[in-house]
Amino acid sequence: MKPSDILSMEHVTKRFPGVTALDDVSIELKKGEILSICGENGAGKSTLMKILAGDYAHGTYDGEIYVNGVKEKITSTGYAEKIGIAMIYQEINVELDMSVAENIMLGIMPKNQFGLIDWKKAREISAETLKTLHVDIDPDMTMRNLNASMQQLVCIARALVRNPKILILDEPTSALTETETKNLFDILYQLRETDISCIYISHKLDEVFQISDRVIVMRDSHVISEFDRSEIDPNKIINDMIGRHLNALYPYMGDRIIGEEVLRIENFAIQHPYSSEKEIIKDVSLTVKKGEVVGLVGLVGSGRSELLRAVYGALPKKKGKTFINGKEVFINSPENAIANGIGFLTEDRKKDGIVGTMNVKENLTLSILDKLTGRIFLNKTEEQEKVDLYFEKINIKAPSPKTNILHLSGGNQQKVVLSKSLMTDMKLLLLDEPTRGIDIGSKSEIYRIIANLAESGLSLIMISSEYQELISMCDRFIVIGNGYIVAELSKEEASEAEFIRLASCI
Amino acid sequence: MEKNAQNSIWNKARQFLFNIWYMNESGIIIPTIIFGFLVYLVNPVFLSKINVTNILRSTGFTLISAIGMTLVLISGGIDLSVGSVLGLGGMFVGIFMVNLGIPIWLSILLTLLIGLFVGFLNGFTIIKFKIPPMIMTLGMMYMARGIVYTRTKGLPIYPMPDAFQAIEQVNLFGVPKIVFICLILSAIFHVILTSTAFGRSIYAVGGNISTAKLSGINTERVILLVYMINGMMASLTGIMMASRLGSAQPSSGTGNEMNVIAACIIGGTSTFGGRGTILGTAIGALFMSMLSNSMTLLRVDVYYQNLAIGAVLVFAVILDQYKRTMAESGARNKSHSKA
Repeated sequence: MKPSDILSMEHVTKRFPGVTALDDVSIELKKGEILSICGENGAGKSTLMKILAGDYAHGTYDGEIYVNGVKEKITSTGYAEKIGIAMIYQEINVELDMSVAENIMLGIMPKNQFGLIDWKKAREISAETLKTLHVDIDPDMTMRNLNASMQQLVCIARALVRNPKILILDEPTSALTETETKNLFDILYQLRETDISCIYISHKLDEVFQISDRVIVMRDSHVISEFDRSEIDPNKIINDMIGRHLNALYPYMGDRIIGEEVLRIENFAIQHPYSSEKEIIKDVSLTVKKGEVVGLVGLVGSGRSELLRAVYGALPKKKGKTFINGKEVFINSPENAIANGIGFLTEDRKKDGIVGTMNVKENLTLSILDKLTGRIFLNKTEEQEKVDLYFEKINIKAPSPKTNILHLSGGNQQKVVLSKSLMTDMKLLLLDEPTRGIDIGSKSEIYRIIANLAESGLSLIMISSEYQELISMCDRFIVIGNGYIVAELSKEEASEAEFIRLASCI
Repeated sequence: MEKNAQNSIWNKARQFLFNIWYMNESGIIIPTIIFGFLVYLVNPVFLSKINVTNILRSTGFTLISAIGMTLVLISGGIDLSVGSVLGLGGMFVGIFMVNLGIPIWLSILLTLLIGLFVGFLNGFTIIKFKIPPMIMTLGMMYMARGIVYTRTKGLPIYPMPDAFQAIEQVNLFGVPKIVFICLILSAIFHVILTSTAFGRSIYAVGGNISTAKLSGINTERVILLVYMINGMMASLTGIMMASRLGSAQPSSGTGNEMNVIAACIIGGTSTFGGRGTILGTAIGALFMSMLSNSMTLLRVDVYYQNLAIGAVLVFAVILDQYKRTMAESGARNKSHSKA
């Protein structure tokens, strides 16, 4: 560790059951430096930062951390704060019903001589900190009344008021507008002047290149390369992020005949989930043909998931028309979408893919309960037949259909959720991260299912953060950025480097 | 050889106990049987015909509302207004028959519709204004009771027509009619829960409403319907109570919601939604009645009864929670070993 370093993490290895998230990773951070860490999803950046911020306590990983030359055992987030490490998380986390001052001073409220909270002082300190950020927010305002970017700025103030030596920012600009992003950068430059060091994590590479003094690239739990500001080369960084991937995983997508248009959406606009002034999708029109697999490319937060959800009727749209087989349809609920032959696979199994209190069979038939109903009763024989059929067809590995869904592995849960959609009469299937968090064997099975579906004439739209997966599975690619379609690529034109370049809007 | 045979008997017995343990109703079936037996040993009068009839009757008065409540709890909600709707039902059936001279059958029908409407108001407000069910139904509890008191000025309505009083007061084959009513309603709602799309949807909504919605279930309709059914069942309890007493008491049903919810929970219905059965609730209601009946029989001070019911309730939930964490940690271990 050099004397100019404020932080040094040495030989950090973190294992989760079955997965090594960090493998002998060492990084240093200089005083007054802005360091960016780049890498694809799952490269290990977040794990590294969570170790630093105390989310993963000392002892759950191997390796050592030195702050200002002193060996530290970071056992909790509170301790990390105490030694000057502050983290601003990707998801805005604030107490919505408390005032701005309360949010900023939470846990470090100044006290008067009676041991009570000195509100006057709390307000003063808050106001001062906000002033250094050039934002004009009344400390007495309730957080709920601020928009997302203002809340983000309050989070930054909360971090700063603790006098950090190291500030970690994880995707801080996802809720910010362009002007606010620029404002944030000015603040970071200003902090650099006062010798505060920053670790900056973002998928938006244009931002990374603009702000960083140094860039570290991570891939597959390792540090791959390091670039000083003068050496930054976008193409080289992107290549290092991607590395080499195995191709054997993916099935041959067949010589399919791509037919007539099945879905057309026109001028979709969708509200931003965190900001009332922003639209996450501003104006998007696209078509999908029979038997075609269309890849939807975009950064996290680009609105690609929201777009699929709006098509499925699970999110309201501000405007836009939907046509199926050339006829306009009005879809305002998933119930409606299913009736119109649209299926949807959620990106978050736990949140809205499975019902944890139900068994495999009950989960499978959730979308076809109406069809299984005779005059009054569920036809349980028919239900069992359908379930048996899909158990075999999709190769769901479970002791029995009566096993609770939570007892299945992630991959098999995903197969259940997928089968649930397949049981409905579909023309179009929307897949949002179909292979997130599942083992490699289940992954290749799901790819095979997708290939078979396309071959049988089903149309698909697919989202994936694993670009290699998208490139292998899709016929055509639509890149979304800033709420619009940035580009449309054919299979020949598609490459990971191109996707990253286009999606980051460099 | 001998050892093997012994093992297989032991295994079978273990399997049998396991099956009971893993039934949703296990938290209550075993204590109910043991409890009944113990009380019988101390005082054989407990299982005399007249006492059993008494227990069954009081079970019935809890169970009708508890069936509706079970549906509401499974759907992930709660309804605190059932006690007041019981009072409201009793009052309206009295007003219709005594004050307005409407025929008995029509009065009953109208009263059931009023219960249905109160449930509709609960469900509608919860869905449309996204008010927590606890708050909405707490409000309804006060409002409905308020209507009863302002309308009756605190005075009972009587005398009910003899034919109406006969409904609850005259037994059929020596058994209170409310027991038959309960058996029929339990059977109907058991079948609804286990064998209809609506029943399955209730479990799905309570288990994970986001998944239910994405799967194409009309979650709002499900929620609306369970509150409507619950309101109707509460007003039916009110009708039966008025028939039993021969008058409509403005205070009748006060605190009843707590008995009803306790019966459901003791019977294994989860307050987190997604789990519960009619059989469990029926045994839960039976257990509550047995408990208070036996304490009276054993001359335990009436004030101790609340203490006992409270303790049983907490114990039932602890057992439920314990089973849940065991199931979940089982799932975790399994996925770990696979990964």
